[in-house]
This record gives sequence, structure tokens and C-alpha cells, in this order.
Amino acid sequence: MSLLLTTLISVPLIAALIVALIPGNFRFIIRLVALGATLVSLGLAVAAFVQFQPQGFDPAKLATFQMQHKVAWITSDVININYHVGVDGISIGLLLMAAIVAFAATSVSWEIKTGEKTFYLLLLLMTGGAFGAFCSLDLFFFYFFNELALVPTFIMIGVWGRGPQKNYATYQITLYLTLGAMLALVGLIALYVSAGVDSLDIVTLKEALSKKALSSGAQSVIFPLLLFGFGILVGLFPFHSWAPLGYAAAPTATAMMHAGVLKKAGLYAIIRVALPLMPEGVAKWMPVLAVLCVGNIIYCGWVAMRQKDLNMLIGNSSVAHMGFVFLGIASESLIGLTGAVVIMVAHGLLAALSYGLSGYVYNTTGTLKMDELGGLLRKMPFIGVAMVMCFMAGCGLPGFANFNGEMLVMVGAWKVLPNIVVFAAWGGLVISGIYMLRAIRSVLHGPAQARTEKVGEFVIKEPLPASEGGLGFLGAITAFFHSALGGGVWQLWRKLPYALLLASLILFGCFPSLLTSKIKGSIAEVVNLSHKVSPAKATAVAPTPAPLNVADTRN
Amino acid sequence: MNPELLPWIILLLPLTSAVVITLFTRGSKGLSAGISIGAIATAFVASIILFAKTGGGSLLGPLLNLEWINLQELKLGDEHNFIINFGFKIDALSQLMLLIVTGVGTAIHVFSWGYMHEDRSVPRYFASLSLFCFSMLGIVLANNLMMMFIFWELVGVSSYLLIGFWFEKPSAADAAKKAFLTNRIGDFGFMLGILMVWGLVGTMSFDGIAAALAKNPAALGTMGTVAGLLIFCGAMGKSAQFPLHVWLPDAMEGPTPVSALIHAATMVAAGVFLLCRVFVVFTPDALTVIGWIGAITALIAALMAVQQNDIKRILAYSTLSQLGYMVMAVGTGGVVLGQGPSAAMYHLTTHAFFKAMLFLGAGSVIHACHHEQDIWQMGGLKKKMPVTYWTFLIGTLALAGVPPFSGFYSKDAILAAALEANKGWFVIAALVALLTTFYMSRLFIVAFLGKPRSESAEHAHESPGIMSFPLIALAIPSVLAGVFGINHLLDHQFGVEGHGSHGPVAELFAPFGHSPFAAIFGVLAVVFGVSFAFALYGNAEKDPLPKTLGLFARAMARRFYFDEIWSFLIRITHEALSYVADFIDRWLVSGLMVRGTHGSFEIAGRALRLLQSGNIQTYALLFVAGLVVVLLIVLK
Repeated sequence: MSLLLTTLISVPLIAALIVALIPGNFRFIIRLVALGATLVSLGLAVAAFVQFQPQGFDPAKLATFQMQHKVAWITSDVININYHVGVDGISIGLLLMAAIVAFAATSVSWEIKTGEKTFYLLLLLMTGGAFGAFCSLDLFFFYFFNELALVPTFIMIGVWGRGPQKNYATYQITLYLTLGAMLALVGLIALYVSAGVDSLDIVTLKEALSKKALSSGAQSVIFPLLLFGFGILVGLFPFHSWAPLGYAAAPTATAMMHAGVLKKAGLYAIIRVALPLMPEGVAKWMPVLAVLCVGNIIYCGWVAMRQKDLNMLIGNSSVAHMGFVFLGIASESLIGLTGAVVIMVAHGLLAALSYGLSGYVYNTTGTLKMDELGGLLRKMPFIGVAMVMCFMAGCGLPGFANFNGEMLVMVGAWKVLPNIVVFAAWGGLVISGIYMLRAIRSVLHGPAQARTEKVGEFVIKEPLPASEGGLGFLGAITAFFHSALGGGVWQLWRKLPYALLLASLILFGCFPSLLTSKIKGSIAEVVNLSHKVSPAKATAVAPTPAPLNVADTRN
Repeated sequence: MNPELLPWIILLLPLTSAVVITLFTRGSKGLSAGISIGAIATAFVASIILFAKTGGGSLLGPLLNLEWINLQELKLGDEHNFIINFGFKIDALSQLMLLIVTGVGTAIHVFSWGYMHEDRSVPRYFASLSLFCFSMLGIVLANNLMMMFIFWELVGVSSYLLIGFWFEKPSAADAAKKAFLTNRIGDFGFMLGILMVWGLVGTMSFDGIAAALAKNPAALGTMGTVAGLLIFCGAMGKSAQFPLHVWLPDAMEGPTPVSALIHAATMVAAGVFLLCRVFVVFTPDALTVIGWIGAITALIAALMAVQQNDIKRILAYSTLSQLGYMVMAVGTGGVVLGQGPSAAMYHLTTHAFFKAMLFLGAGSVIHACHHEQDIWQMGGLKKKMPVTYWTFLIGTLALAGVPPFSGFYSKDAILAAALEANKGWFVIAALVALLTTFYMSRLFIVAFLGKPRSESAEHAHESPGIMSFPLIALAIPSVLAGVFGINHLLDHQFGVEGHGSHGPVAELFAPFGHSPFAAIFGVLAVVFGVSFAFALYGNAEKDPLPKTLGLFARAMARRFYFDEIWSFLIRITHEALSYVADFIDRWLVSGLMVRGTHGSFEIAGRALRLLQSGNIQTYALLFVAGLVVVLLIVLK
């Protein structure tokens, strides 16, 4: 038993509580609490990542989770719900990514100038929810934490959002995400009922279902419910149009957290729940998913090519990248699925970086229309260079983590779905190149435009607000930190979130085994379980033994 | 010192330089330039030491093959087996390339400091240059296809950064974008080729592929030709082969030393290097296609070069044409059994020296003439810039293939191979040799001889020592590379029954003994080319060709309209499709579905609101109506 994960989840939630108790006009203190909490949880997440031991794979027995902590919550004859957290190779990388993004998102939130208290409260809830979702092993708590993280999105877009399409975007994102969550919930309840073990604990479910699989009928209903329910939360084609719109209207931190972290929870659930528990559903639905992912990669890529707003372009490209994850899932191979998890981590960092940078540009120039921008590389050297690197990572440049994931997905899918891989390679190499370079060309290159003529980066503007100055002890602390962060330190501080995200992308890009060695063992089990078709079926379909070495745990 | 460390030093020094400059020395021009020059020069020394220690042979060792990604889980089944190493393949081929890249690179780095020192972004320039060297050395050293692809992409991006160095100039920014995207189209094929080879053979390492094919020559099966041609797509992008050649002339928007290093000597040669590296993969059919693509590129590019007036563009088209020559030479390797692509590598080597020198010479001229690039605005530079004049002359003679300059020997090797392989290729090769001599003489006569035609040419003066020294340094191998015996090193690499070197003097006359017909044709092409050029341009004030050739000359000047064809193709495919996709997204998916859902709920809400008006009479009416309906149903 280890309390590490529980501590990690509770730090942002407790901080949210503290923020709730601080008066709303202590803006700097509120910000400091939020930053401190996300920084501490980043430290804890790094500790967990380092502590995690790569696991081997043994087909004869199920893998164990590490750093488990289990507290019984409801125990009865008919229902058992436990607070149960733990990590394996799939979630550990996501957890680290979530912590990095949460810290970066909090750091760039200085753009919020009204209602800071509520904003940071929601942001911290979101962070805690995201951590909880990736750690929970009981599906009840997974769902709870996921919703805890999702709901603040709607409020944040509605209140602090921007642009003329704000309300429409809020409609759309609420509609789609609620629909997806509902489908998934129905699927989970059906799973609970048909598994008949009176528990939603993933460990119990896996044990029970690997001995006695769900009936074919149940699988063929539950699997698509989970696949499309969670798929909608990710932006699976053709349910993707909420994402770019919603992110374009969202405040920077929300877009970073949602596109980077929360979206991955849907993919995570598909890999964690749908694949290993329902092999027949996998066999039936993967061809469909393989076709839909072309929609993501190619179609959304084309849509991205047409965008005139930078955030819409980033949003569509982000949906396009999700196609690679779906392709990895559809490949059902160790290589492809590992690649999918690598992309989930990499894209989380990348999406956060893209929205963080575009948010900065929006705040300094007041627009994200690409034909009004230009020449920013000269005006904002740091932001400009970071943006070039970010867009290059977005079109799959080696050296950044995204390439490794995409490459693994294509390799893994090549033997099963070669035709799809041809589309994926075209989308990943050519189409993404077209829109990313177009963005660089019109935003960063070229001569400066009227809007960008006079902008600079990291200019210190506002003095300390008077309301905070005269509050005795707290005011003194505030003033101290404010002056300490002045000048050069202040500049470094503003650069830190971007530098951190970039550094992580490059680190995992150059040393992919940091991730893959951890992911491998856990994914191997998923692949093994997802290929386990029930014995009767296996003999009926193919007289030869199943292609994978399934050392028998089935009856 | 352990020789296994040398490749690591060679590879990582430029990377370190790029990182250090970006992070720490952005403020200092001199320091940044010093770090970058120091890194590449040290890498050059290390390459020489490596060559000396191994005698140009191969080197193996545990440090040269580190694991990068390991996704092997044999308990799941044999197909879950995927390991990529970060490894180096050290043999004659890679060592020769190492010497070229670091050697030519050093000269160009030094020249750059002279050429660029007034620019405000010198640190960024040298950081990008170092990044490029790192990527290029990675391609050279890679021991498997994936590693090669990774550095391949990195080379693409460093070239993008350098072409777009003056990114505020729209033409430079556009050229950079075009270069990157054109390369990406080639890389799309390359990626699929890698996947296909991996799918068929089960490994990505060059040694593994060669071993599998040696054991079972039919291992690639019927898809072998397709796989080979897909890999060739990558080479078509980087080495700018028809029809992906359109990016190279535009790439001249970059600073001139960049054109010398990247778009003449190294990056564009990477495609040819790739073909030599994976030569075993190509089936005879694939090689025939490769040979024809090369021949077509060589011919059309040479024709285009005849009607260009920009000094850098002439050299750019000439590079295209020579690259086509090399690719064609790779093609001959399949027909002439047991020959391998050594002629291609040979020409790559000599070409790297003299073409880099020609570009640097052009840079020196441009520098002296206050950034004038039109040759018709020059003239009479012979007396004003003696060092540039003499080195440019050497380069021209070498490129034209005049014995005993290096170009003659490598070109002769290609002519001889073409003669043996395919008569059509030989005719094209001879014609291209004639055209090459013609346009190079035209350039030389117009720019250097005669009288100055403009103010800036009038006041031109020799460039400073830091720029003329690299020119001289490159002139030496341009003259002598033909008699070093590089071809024997390469013959050994590709397992050709070598004749062995008989010393420099014998080498001097070897072509005439080996394949006299080809050698004589080569010399005749030179003689005719020079005579035509002197006849037309000896005293010309402007180009007489557009008048005599009419429409054809215009087509040549407009590059046979390939750019227009490409942009038309892109417009009718991707632009149109993206328009349709965007339309569907905007109006059908989000419009109809979302607004539809939203709207239907709203209508339902409004309808229901009518029922709940709060009016007692309405409720009573509805109550009675309901009662009537119920009674009707019950009593019926």
C-alpha cells in the first residue's frame, strides 16, 4: 500500500478548498496557492514516475498494479464500491503528463483578470479530477473523477470564454460531451449488470471475465456503447466538430487542460476497459474504428487546411492526431497500442503547448486571425521559436515524442491494416505538413502586419493592485513575491511553462524507452486479453489455435 | 582512445554546438561562429583519425549499436517483435561521406563567417548550420532505415530553417515552405517503403536486410520492386529528382554558403547516398525506373540551366542535372552486373568539392557586386577578383569534365557504365555533358570575361582572406580527386572485381584504357560545348538565344512550366477536397446535427410551454378533453 497516489489526487482538491475559503480580492494569494498545489503535485507525479518499476509480461497470470491504495466505501450483498487507486504502465505516463500540463496551465492563467477565485477553484477541481481518473481502478470512481474534471469546462468556456461563437461553442461542447458521457455510463452499468461480480473494480472484473467471458450478446452491445461513448469524448470522427470550436472559444488554461489531459481519459478508458474485457467486441468493431480513424486523420486534416483562425487550426489538427491513437487501438498489436499510448502522452504535452502559445499570441495581439498576424518570429523571439518547434512537433518531426508514437502506430498497424496506414502516412507526413507550415508562414514568417508591428514579449505592465497592497501581513507577503518576481526572474517565470512542455516533448522524443519500457508490459496484457475469443467461438471460426500464445487461464 | 567513441564525437559535436549557441551565446556573433566552426573542424579531424585507424574499412563494436526502442514480446507471438537500435554503420561508404560532409562543411563554415558577419542573426545562422551538420552526419552514420528516416527528416527541417533564414522576405519564407513540403511528399513514399521492407524482411537494419537477401534473394517477393521504388521516392525528394525537383531552384533564396553546403554538396547528395546504402533492395526493374528518372532529370535540368540568368540559379539547375547523372549511374549498377553504384558515389564525391567551390565562388562574386546576381550585370571580373576567377575556372573545368580535373574521371565512369547498360542513357548522358559545358562556359564568359556591364561590377574587388582561403582549400581536391583512387575504395565497398590502383600517373590515363569510346565522347562534348559558348557569347551584350530558339527558349527559362503544373494539381486535389470537408463540417456536421438537436429541443420546449400557461380555464379544457378521449377508448 502506498499513499502516494492518494496524496497526489488530494493536493489539488485540498487546494481548491483553501481557495474557496480565501476572499476573492486576494488575487495574488489565490494564484500562489494554485501554483503551489500544481507544483507539489508535479513533484509527486515525477516521484511516482521514477518509482514505477517496468513490469514483465506473463500470459499465465494477470499483472498487478503498483502503488495501490484501497479503501472500502460501500460494501453490501448487491453492490461493492471501493476507493481503489493504482497505476500501471498505461496510466503512469499519462499521470505525469497530466501533472506537467496542469502546472503549465496554472502558470499561464495570468491572463484571467476577472473572477480569479472561481476560475482557479475550477481549474484545481479539474486537475484533481484528471489525476483521479487516471489513478482510479474502480470504474465508479473513474467516472466520478472524469465528470468532476469535465463539468468545469462548460462553466469556464461560458464565463471566461472569448470570441463571437462563445455561446454556440458552449452549447455544442456540452451537448456532445454529455451525450458521450451518457452512452459510456449506460455501457458501464450494463457491464456491471452482465459481469455479475457485484463490483466495478477493474482488477476484479478482469479476473472474473478472463475466467468466464461475457456472453457474445452482451459484448456486442456494451462494446460499441463504450467505444462510441468514450470516443465522442475524444472527438472520434464524425463526432469531432465540438472540439475545435470549443477550444477556440475556451480560455487558454481550459483548452490546455481539456485538449491535453481530459480528452485522453476517454482513450484511456477504451484501452483500460473495453479492450481487455470484451475480446469479441474488439473483433467485431475494430474494422469500423479503423475506417473512422481515416476520417480523423485525413478529413480533419483537410478541414484544418481551410481554417483562418489559428486556434481552429490547432483544434482540427488535434482531432486529426487522435486518429493515430484510434489507429493504434484498431491495430490490436503490441507495437501499435504502445504507440497509441505514447501519442496520448505526447499529444497531451503538444496540445497544451499549442494552446498555451496561441493564448499568449491572442493576449498580446488581440487576434488569432492568421491573415492579420505575421512576422511574429522577429517580434517575439522566444514565443516564436517555441511555436516553430511546437508546429514542427505537430507535423511529426523526429526528436519530438509525437513522431515516436506515430511511427510505432504505423509500424504496428502495417501488417494488419496496410491500406489504412497509407492514408495515415499521407495525413501524418503531408497534410499535417501543409497546414502546420501554412501556420508558420502566415503567423511567424513574413513582414510584420499592422497588428503585430508594435508588440513585444514579456513586457511588465501592471503595478501591484492597491487592494492587495493595504492588507497588512498578507499584503506584505504579496508585495514581497511580486517584487521578487520582477525583472529577469519574472521573465524566466513566464517562459517556464512553455520551456517545461517543450523539454518534456524533446526528452520523450529522444529517449522513447523512458515511456515504452514502462508501457510495454501492461499493453502486452491488454493485447493478450483482447485477442481471447471464447473457446467455443475460437474452434468454430478457426480450427487452428488462436494466433497468440494464450497460456490457458480460461476453463 | 577507443575508436568506437569517434563516431559519437563526430555526430554529437555539431549538436552540442547548436544547443550551446541557442541557449547561451545568442548575444555574441563571434563566439557563436567560433563554436560552430570549431565543432565542425574537430569533427573533420576526428573523421580523418577514424579513417586512418580503420584504413577506410568497417568498424564494429557494442558502443556502435545501442538499443533505442525495444518492443519485443515473444510470449505474445513472433510478430510482436520490434527493436530499433541507435547505431552506426562504419564502412568505406560512410567514411567517405563523413570526410566530405565535415571537410566541405569546415570550408563552408569558415567562408560563412566572412560572408555573413554583418547580418544581425549570425548566431541563429550558425546554430542552424550546426543542426544541419548533425542531421546530415546522422544520415551518413545510420545503420538502419528508421534511424536514417529520423535524420532524413531532421535534415529536411534544418534545410527549411536555412532556406527561410531571411524569413521576413516573403519569397524566402515561401521557398522554405515549398522545399519542406516537396520533401515531405517524397518522405511519404520513403516511410511506406520502410514499412514494406520491414514487413517483408522483418528487420530495419541494413546488415539484417543484406543478410536476409543474401540468404534468400527472393525474400522481398513480388513486392520487391514496389518497395524499392517507394524507398526511391525518399531519394527523389531529397535529391530533387523529376518530378519533385521543383523545390531546389527556389531554395536559392537562402544565403549562398547554405546553397553551397546543403543544396550542392551534402543534403541533395543524401538521396544518392541512400540509394547506395540500400542498393541490395533494388530489383533490376526498379533500377531501370531509377535510371530513367535520373536521365530525364539530368536532361531537363540541363536544358533549363541554359536559359537562366541568375548566377545561383544556373548553378542550382546544374546541381539538379548532376544529381540526375548520379541517380542514373545508380540505375546502371543493376544492369552492369556486379558493378554496383560506385560510379554514382564517385561522381557524388568529386561533385561535392567542385560544386561547393563554385557556389562559394558565386557567393564571393555576389558579395563583391553588392548582392547583384544577374550575370548580365557582371562581366570583367577576371582582373578585379583573381582568386575567385581562378578557382571558378577550376570549378568550371571540373564540372565540364576536362581532363585531368576530377570531374572528368567521375563523369567518365558514369558514361562508361551507361554505355554498357543502356544506349539511350548513354546518348542522354553525352548530350547532358555537352549542355553542361555549354551553360557553364556561358556563365563563365559572361560573368568573368569581357567588360563590366554595370556600376557594381565596375567597383567589385576581391573578397577578404577568410572567404578566399576556403575557395583555395576546395580547389585542391577539385583538381586532384580523380587520381586519389577513390573509385577503388568504392569498388571495394560494392564488391567489384577491382583493377587496383597503379599509382597517380596510371590513374591519369586510366579512362582512355578502360573505355576509350566513352572517354573520347566525354572530351568531344567538352570541345563542342566550349566552342558553341564562345561563338555565341564571346562578345555578346545580351543573350542571343531567346531570339533564335523562340518559344523553346521561353519554356526553358520558365522551367518547362512544372511549377504551374504542380500548383494546378494541388489546387484541384487537396484545396478542393479541403474546401468540401470544411463545408461539410461547418454546415452539415455542426450545423445540421448540433443546431438541429438544439433547435428541436427548443421547439419541443416552446410547445410544452404552451401547455403550462398557468391558465385555469385552459387546464380545465385540457382535462375535459382528456376525459373524453379516455371515455371513448374505454367505452368502445
